[in-house]
Amino acid sequence: MHDGSGRIVVQNLTKNFGQVAAVQNLSFQVEPGSVTGFLGPNGAGKTTTLRMLLGLVTPTAGHATINGQLFHQLENPARVVGAVLEAQGFHPSRTARDHLRVYCAAMGMPDQRADEMLNLVGLGSAATRSAGGFSLGMKQRLALATALLGDPQVLVLDEPANGLDPEGIAWLRTFLKAFAASGRTVLISSHLLAEVEQTIDQVVIISHGQTMYYGQLDELRRSQQSRVIVQPADPNKLVAALQEAQITNVTPMPEGRVAVVGATVQQIGDVAARAGVALYGVQEEKADLEQLFFRLTSGQYAAPGTQLPPPGQGQPQQGYAQPVGQQGYPPNQAPPQQFQQQGQQSGYHQPPPGYQPGYQQQGTPPGGWGPPPGQPPTGTPPGGWGPPPQQQQQYQAPQQDQQHGGNA
Amino acid sequence: MGRLISAEFRKILTTRLWWALAIPAVLLAVGWAWGVSAFVTDIADDVADSDLLATTGIEVSDMSWSVLALTRAMNIATIFPMVFGALALASEINRKTITTTFLTASSRASVLGAKAITYTIWGLVYGVVVAGAASLGTVLGSNPDYLPEGGDWFLVLMSGIIACVLWTLLGMGVGALLGSPVGALVLLLVYASFVGPVGELILFGVTEGSHLTGWMPNGSANGLTGATASEVLFGQVQEIVGNNAVLAQADIEDFDIGVRFAAGAPGAYSLWVSGLIFLGWTMIFFVSGLLRNQRRDIT
Repeated sequence: MHDGSGRIVVQNLTKNFGQVAAVQNLSFQVEPGSVTGFLGPNGAGKTTTLRMLLGLVTPTAGHATINGQLFHQLENPARVVGAVLEAQGFHPSRTARDHLRVYCAAMGMPDQRADEMLNLVGLGSAATRSAGGFSLGMKQRLALATALLGDPQVLVLDEPANGLDPEGIAWLRTFLKAFAASGRTVLISSHLLAEVEQTIDQVVIISHGQTMYYGQLDELRRSQQSRVIVQPADPNKLVAALQEAQITNVTPMPEGRVAVVGATVQQIGDVAARAGVALYGVQEEKADLEQLFFRLTSGQYAAPGTQLPPPGQGQPQQGYAQPVGQQGYPPNQAPPQQFQQQGQQSGYHQPPPGYQPGYQQQGTPPGGWGPPPGQPPTGTPPGGWGPPPQQQQQYQAPQQDQQHGGNA
Repeated sequence: MGRLISAEFRKILTTRLWWALAIPAVLLAVGWAWGVSAFVTDIADDVADSDLLATTGIEVSDMSWSVLALTRAMNIATIFPMVFGALALASEINRKTITTTFLTASSRASVLGAKAITYTIWGLVYGVVVAGAASLGTVLGSNPDYLPEGGDWFLVLMSGIIACVLWTLLGMGVGALLGSPVGALVLLLVYASFVGPVGELILFGVTEGSHLTGWMPNGSANGLTGATASEVLFGQVQEIVGNNAVLAQADIEDFDIGVRFAAGAPGAYSLWVSGLIFLGWTMIFFVSGLLRNQRRDIT
């Protein structure tokens, strides 16, 4: 039997489809109690990896386990792991309720579970409609209801936000956070960092089927040095004064502005005051995660033989946006956030008590989403959104020599 | 396994396919049996009125000619359970419901095992329905004198029901092997309704009436039903001839071949041999389809 940990371990996973190396030597671990984002551009190997984890695709090498077991070793897998892989797996003339009841039977859940899940995802009123007539967003929600049928401990979602309206995305975000906060495991893939940025704690970024970054999202964020853009009265004088104060990473910019890295606004202000240079504008600029993500995963479509820049040696390179890219959303202003307030008006039912985000403070789950029977209670996750117990090393340095080995 | 079988039944009963195929199967079986039995009755009546048989002392009405209608009707209606079986796995692969099906089962083998059991039961259901429809058509079309006795009737129906079950599983195997509903349906329908019968006629002619056709999938399936009917008629002829001793042994053998031809099973072996050969074909397709899906990457 499985160990009940809810941990996903992917180890040296490799898959070749003929000559195409879809996934190369991928390793990462997903801890219970957190939401892990699995990010990469289209074609990076995300779906293949998730399908190998779920036993749908046979790996060429390596393995992936859930609760310490390969998928096919799980006795009744749907009670351990639920998956949303694509919003297409429905018979067009079967109703939503019948669809769920088929799989209730397969996994030995009572039939009323079907209606409960339909209500949870906001499809209660569409229960008797054929899935063929559903919009993409409704199909996504039905897929989520299917994944949740077996009351699983681990949830794997492949691009679940596709086709969801902003309201649905906000609801999904709240739901997944609450789900993870109850000590369960969530692995969610996306090709857009901004889409999942506010949901995830941990992140695995892949490109070319290889790990580019693996660790806490906060670490990634912190690794970004901010820069300060200054509009001084006399740029040359300010630069000289800054260099005198050992602040050397200074770049001149158009219109007489100066970009300073490695100094706070206060430090710069003090230096300018001492040097007697008037400042007309000071603006601190946080590097954009999306830009960093883009750089980590760029070169996806590079010609074979092109050597990629080494992706991050211990620390990601400074993540400055190109001047054009400055319109990119700063992490705290991603537009979908505004929809979070509107959750009340939506057709989605509020998550049941067990799903409330505040829930992680409580010791015992108030029904519904406790640990599955037969498993020791996991108790309160340490510190809400804290890092998983053991700290992983932040980077999985990809092996460059293997990268283009098969392409020549 | 019980859970998965229950899930398979729900899959079938929550969509329209099962009755969309059952209705034409019934109509075809009734119509075909009616037409063939009326045709056979006409010919038998003509023969009975002729002087030819009068000299031999054989009564045409001693023969239950209408078993030919029963067997022909069931034979043609097996196309529907075959289509039903062909879509069992192929349409799940095509509609991608196979992903969830595999994710909610302990193993792929258990899914395919549950499908095999479920579709065996449905093959039986189709077989019984088709048998009833063929019987109805035969009763409607035949001269009551030419109707077989209860035991023979039952034997022909049983062979037809077995044929329905085996065609269902063979269809399922081909569907699982090809993984495409269109591919499986085209292949099966073209083979079962054209390539098989015509090819067997040619093979039968070229090999001068050998049993080679009885080894073909379609030939053995036809033999399963056809040979039963021809054995019934052949047995009756031998009984009559035994009392008369007018017809030579060679004539009886000619009669046997002719009746098998009329029953749609030229060159076929007897009921049990045909049944075993067809079971073998079914197993070949079914097992290879199963193995194919054990390894298939679901992408």
